[in-house]
Amino acid sequence: MWAPHVSAPERPTLTANRFEKSLYDLIKGLRLHKGGENEYIQSCLRECKAEIKTQDMDKKATALLKLIYLEMFGYDMSWASFHVLEVMSSAKYLQKRVGYLGAVQSFRPDTEVLMLATNLLKKDIVTSSIPNMSLPLITLPHIITPALAMSLLPDILSRLSHSSPVVRKKTIVCLYRLALVYPEALKLAWPKIKDHLMDDQEDVSVTTAAINVVCELGWRRPHDFLPLAPRFFELLVDSGNNWMAIKIIKLFATLTPIEPRLTRKLLRPLTNIIQTTSAMSLLYECINGIIQGGILDGEDNLQERDEVATLCVGKLRGMIVLDSDPNLKYVALLALNRIVATHPSLVSMQQDVIMDCLDDADVSIRLQALELAVGMVSSDSLQPVVNRLIDQLRQASVPAAELIDTSKASENPEALSIWPDDYKTEVVHKILDLCSQKNYSEILDFDWYVAVLVQLVGLLPPSEYKEDSGHYKEQEAMPHLRMNAALRIGTEIRNVAVRVKGVRLEATRAAESLVLIDNRSHLFPPGSTVGDGVLGPVAWVVGEYAEYLLSPDRTLLSLIDMSNASFPSRTLSLFLQAIPKVFVRVSQTNDPGDSWKSEMSLLLARVVEFLEALAAHPDLDVQERAIEFLEALRLAAEALDSKTPEIPFLLASVIPNLFAGLELNPVASNAQRKVVLPDSLRLDEAFRRDLPALFYDLDSSSSHESESWQVSDFYHVPGLSSSNKQAREMLPADVQPYMSYQNATGALVDSSTGIQRRMLERKERFKDDPFYIASSGASSCTSTPIHDALRTANGEDLDIDSIPIVDLKLGDENPRNVDSDRQRTHRLPRSKLVVAGDETFETLDYLPDTSMPKGADDDRPITKRSLLQVDSSSLGTSPLAKAPYPHVIPDEGEMEMAQAMQQIEEARLQMQRASERIQLEGIPAEGTLVKRKKKKSKKHIDAAAQGVSPVDNDDTEPTEGKKKRKKKTKEPV
Amino acid sequence: MINAVLVFNNNGQPRLTKFYTQLDTQTQQSLIAQIYRLVAQRPASACNFLPLPPLLSQGASSSASGPSDAPTQITYRTYATLSFIMISTSTESPLALIDLIQVFVEALDRMFENVCELDLIFGYETLHAVLGEMIVGGVVVETNIDKIVAGVRAQEGSLGKKKAVQAASSSLGRGALPGLGAWR
Repeated sequence: MWAPHVSAPERPTLTANRFEKSLYDLIKGLRLHKGGENEYIQSCLRECKAEIKTQDMDKKATALLKLIYLEMFGYDMSWASFHVLEVMSSAKYLQKRVGYLGAVQSFRPDTEVLMLATNLLKKDIVTSSIPNMSLPLITLPHIITPALAMSLLPDILSRLSHSSPVVRKKTIVCLYRLALVYPEALKLAWPKIKDHLMDDQEDVSVTTAAINVVCELGWRRPHDFLPLAPRFFELLVDSGNNWMAIKIIKLFATLTPIEPRLTRKLLRPLTNIIQTTSAMSLLYECINGIIQGGILDGEDNLQERDEVATLCVGKLRGMIVLDSDPNLKYVALLALNRIVATHPSLVSMQQDVIMDCLDDADVSIRLQALELAVGMVSSDSLQPVVNRLIDQLRQASVPAAELIDTSKASENPEALSIWPDDYKTEVVHKILDLCSQKNYSEILDFDWYVAVLVQLVGLLPPSEYKEDSGHYKEQEAMPHLRMNAALRIGTEIRNVAVRVKGVRLEATRAAESLVLIDNRSHLFPPGSTVGDGVLGPVAWVVGEYAEYLLSPDRTLLSLIDMSNASFPSRTLSLFLQAIPKVFVRVSQTNDPGDSWKSEMSLLLARVVEFLEALAAHPDLDVQERAIEFLEALRLAAEALDSKTPEIPFLLASVIPNLFAGLELNPVASNAQRKVVLPDSLRLDEAFRRDLPALFYDLDSSSSHESESWQVSDFYHVPGLSSSNKQAREMLPADVQPYMSYQNATGALVDSSTGIQRRMLERKERFKDDPFYIASSGASSCTSTPIHDALRTANGEDLDIDSIPIVDLKLGDENPRNVDSDRQRTHRLPRSKLVVAGDETFETLDYLPDTSMPKGADDDRPITKRSLLQVDSSSLGTSPLAKAPYPHVIPDEGEMEMAQAMQQIEEARLQMQRASERIQLEGIPAEGTLVKRKKKKSKKHIDAAAQGVSPVDNDDTEPTEGKKKRKKKTKEPV
Repeated sequence: MINAVLVFNNNGQPRLTKFYTQLDTQTQQSLIAQIYRLVAQRPASACNFLPLPPLLSQGASSSASGPSDAPTQITYRTYATLSFIMISTSTESPLALIDLIQVFVEALDRMFENVCELDLIFGYETLHAVLGEMIVGGVVVETNIDKIVAGVRAQEGSLGKKKAVQAASSSLGRGALPGLGAWR
């Protein structure tokens, strides 16, 4: 339209090369060399390499075009970057276009030739032909660097006042991308962009482009755009352009949280749009804007807000129920997912339709519904929802279902059985999320949960690892995010067994049923890796709570089955730990009659055989554990061989005591890090200079001193002086006499002095004990070094001795170790079972925690940056010119540093520019000449453009007529 | 903003790749492969939104918590043998993106007159030019089909009006394309 004279004469050049392959020949050749494509492409690449080096610009451009085409298929062309520049500088427009395309497609951050392009880009930006001018404008966003942005900024800024709206709209966007790498640009460009935005006479395309850019900037710096709100409002109400309206609503959603008065203004027009518009996209964005802008929150105008909320949720429900369009269903669920965080009750009312979406044929929709279910579920609805999901899983995996439970045939098995494995795994994860959230607070019936876990084992897709190459890549990406589902199920069983004493029996029995070798073959079919994950933690449970086992003998035989040796080492080491524990249990339960000895030695022989097989295991951990237990049990076997009738001491007492101790409690994973080193701890000092003397002393010392080091000293005993029955039961006879130790030291049983004395001794004993973990409140941690540290830090004077002894009792009726800092805001009144939370130091949260917080929030951009992400964080720091609202300064030190760095960078760039200017001076005459010429032709073109430029009637109304315009899908394609 | 626009056919062969951030070729290819796998699994009745492929799900942790720079949405639409994909952040409206793809295809249809996959293969440059009129640096600059087509025509003169296939074959003096059937 505006530059036909440029393109007409050169058109033949791209297609009419007689002797070289054109792009067309290349494509056709690719087709003909099916099977040997790679060799063909390699030969083409060689040709291109030769062609691109010729002086003939036509050849060069054709070769480049071919390279760009091949680059699309993954063939590297970074080596050609200099030639890209050559083609970019071609005088012919179509060749130039190929060059710029090459730059867009192949330049990477490390492309070095870019600095050479500065002058070329400058020239092209200020050229007279609009297509020519557009090339750098649309290319720069892809290749811009701070240095380039600095040099080109003035030229690009000048394009903002170009007469053609096509140039203006592209310039606005180009400036936005410049600002991302060079924030200064925004300061200079913003006043001008704002002028365009405020101008009623401006072309609607330009205004839309400006709005789009503001929408991108908006969430980074909402305060700066607040003053423009009236103009946005005007555009929203008057423009009638749905594309723009959607963006403005998105923008308002970021503005309303900082200016509550806007909500009142917006409520009416948004409601109006919701009620009247026929464009679903606009309707959806209105609802979304209302949700995200927090318009539903707040206190005033309660009635009006309620109405709006009901209207929104009603519309969303309508989108799910009435329309058969899956897209609407999906976005409605998306919106509900956003509401559920703040208005769970509103969403819960739509539970019926949401649950129906769990059955939808579309995976995307089901995943959204699942997500929503996790957010929405309460203790009442948990069981039905999980049961429903399990039913689905069962129907989706028919063969496994037959084994677990012969359930009713599904209504539409075909639709369900095509579930991809990763979706099934996702469902399992979500079920576990659902149940374990808030430390199991939503679960009323733990027996049910244990049963669910066992069922899930059977329902897991056979393997997550094998399949084609694609799957393992996905696995590669996942492990940091979460464990694999099988391991997670095993861990859940362990968690329940440890945390919930009330169902420990059931959990152990469930674990037992999983471990038993007879069940294993059908629970974990050959080739499946599910067993590897589940069995590890489950074996631990079986060992740790061996007293609850239904049949210790069978369990032990299953544990030492020779087929186990092929498990992964992590699972094996847990097995190894469980074997002696279960063995001890077996030896204790079996009737100590005549046959006892022979039975035991037979059993021992089998255990030893299994351990011997692992004694040379390649994994060191497995090897070590195997050898340790192997030697101990060999000794036991020898002891058994002796002729004495009674049970050898080794088996009766020594080996059982290896595993007897106080109960293990869940400890928060970060608790260890919070342990404060006591001042008296000096790690670089020798314990004692005179070591031989120490040994000598030891030999001669009285035996009761060594006795005082009881097993219990190394454990955290919650109610040491109280009657902790559970703990006591587990203590074998020789660990118990803590009281007798007291007596032995001669304490009178006189109450007050005895208590004080005991407390002092306790304090003394725990002073340097790193294993001692204090539980909540001052009551129990009075004597820990942590408390001392705290007290000195706080300057608070606590009279430890005045605390009555009763407070030391942290009995079972008192839910101790409650993790009040994050989980325990609401207790579970109906739950009869107590769930133990993680043990940790609650009071010490303010202490400098060296490893945790920095990774979490501070350097987020460094730790995790998504692949395609454009980093706009720099925009948040430098204020716009004349920004009327003071924006929040993130961190003064950081700011100063950034400013200093910026100054250095600017100075460097200015020097660079200065050197470039010197180069420029070499060609002054030509430069001015071109400029004069340009002015004339520009006027001419402008006139033409204005004559032709279509008046802004957006006749397509793209959002509304989507269905109408659904393409007459072209055949044959 | 829009992070990438992709077009590939039913076999996963790329027909257009445009990334609005610089990304090395290898990663581009694996991303395309991952997205193709997702698209290929989906029945025609499914909705037009894809879950994030593994490569993208690493960085995007909390899509619900408001806008961020990380891409969180993938919108696709399939026309006959071709799938059009847009990867975007949450500042784009998902439904509007579906419409945007429609605008893109309609604009291509105007340029090529009854567009088909072959047109896009041989009209590779025009394909890029059309996209360049619609999206600059990841930001939508034009949604009006007339203006888009006018912009591309201004670049190409009368070249774009012809079907690229015809232009190519006529310049070679051949009437028909051998092996053309196999393309379809």
